[in-house]
Amino acid sequence: MEIKSTDRDDFRRVYDADYHLLVQVIMHIVYNLEIAEDLTQEAFERFYVKNMTFPSEEDARYWLIRVAKNLALNHIRRNKREIEMVEKVKRMPSAAADEKDGASEAIERENREEVRRAIDALPENLRLVIQLKEFSGLDYKSISKVLGISETNVKVRVFRARKKLEEVLRGDERDVY
Amino acid sequence: MCIDAQMLSAYLDGELAEPYRTQVKEHLEHCPACRHHLEDMREIGDRIRSTEYPSQMLDRNKDRILSVLDAKYFQNGRKVGFFRRRLEVSLPSLVTAAAAVVFIFIGSFMFFGTSDEQTGEILPSFAVQAGNGSVRYVSDAASLDNFTLEEILHYLDSKGYNVDISIKGLQPLDTSIPAAESAE
Repeated sequence: MEIKSTDRDDFRRVYDADYHLLVQVIMHIVYNLEIAEDLTQEAFERFYVKNMTFPSEEDARYWLIRVAKNLALNHIRRNKREIEMVEKVKRMPSAAADEKDGASEAIERENREEVRRAIDALPENLRLVIQLKEFSGLDYKSISKVLGISETNVKVRVFRARKKLEEVLRGDERDVY
Repeated sequence: MCIDAQMLSAYLDGELAEPYRTQVKEHLEHCPACRHHLEDMREIGDRIRSTEYPSQMLDRNKDRILSVLDAKYFQNGRKVGFFRRRLEVSLPSLVTAAAAVVFIFIGSFMFFGTSDEQTGEILPSFAVQAGNGSVRYVSDAASLDNFTLEEILHYLDSKGYNVDISIKGLQPLDTSIPAAESAE
């Protein structure tokens, strides 16, 4: 079904279907909910302002993910310095925060941190592919459309990313135990 | 022979085409090593997905943002007109454009100058005042430029100065002969 980005009903349908996914994708790049929400809004504004017609809802989704991803990456590049400082403060040991969390929450947070570090260590081209694969539920074909690369390329990148993550995450385990 | 790890990765994602899929499936049934590797990859995937952010967190402002966008774009059935579109121009191109305008403006005077007729065409009321007749150059006073070297030398000679002229790279001139010759 054709989607016209300036049509109110179409816009609503796409918004309803994709909002969650866009915030999720952006969150895994910027790791800050307020910023992720701002950028998601920005992505939908561009969607409207561009006044485009898409052959299907999926195509609109691919376009939106691409824009959201670029907005997030640009944000990271532009604010690199600032972000590093915030991170530093966050990583400082804070006894109060640890006490407040329950034990299971602490473990969950640790796992999140560890996975995030492993994913952050991947080169950008691998990172995006594996994130889209795991978080968006998109298949290879869709990811290839979002990123503008071939399906084979997606397959290779997913595999390479997995291999690297395996090395990093399993290596960690060996160190700990 | 065991399965290529990349194929296994594609199999995990359900992206392996037949007949490979069946072949991999059969192989997995009797190969613990490949089964183990597949499990490892699946586990990594699970771990990554476990860091997914929960819905109630991500969607907390979904309705608010929609209403903001709705108010901004759709109420009163507004459409984006050409002039409403945001125009984004990068700074370098803006500077280039500004420089071009200035260059053309100044250039038009440099290359074509101005004349009475032109001024008359553009600003008839001003042409009368700005005509050549009514314009007097401020620095009309005599300057050295108005005299030839010969005249200057004659003048100085008549005043009793002893003028010594030399031209770089040439032999010094004898200025006792009338200076007029050396001027040539």
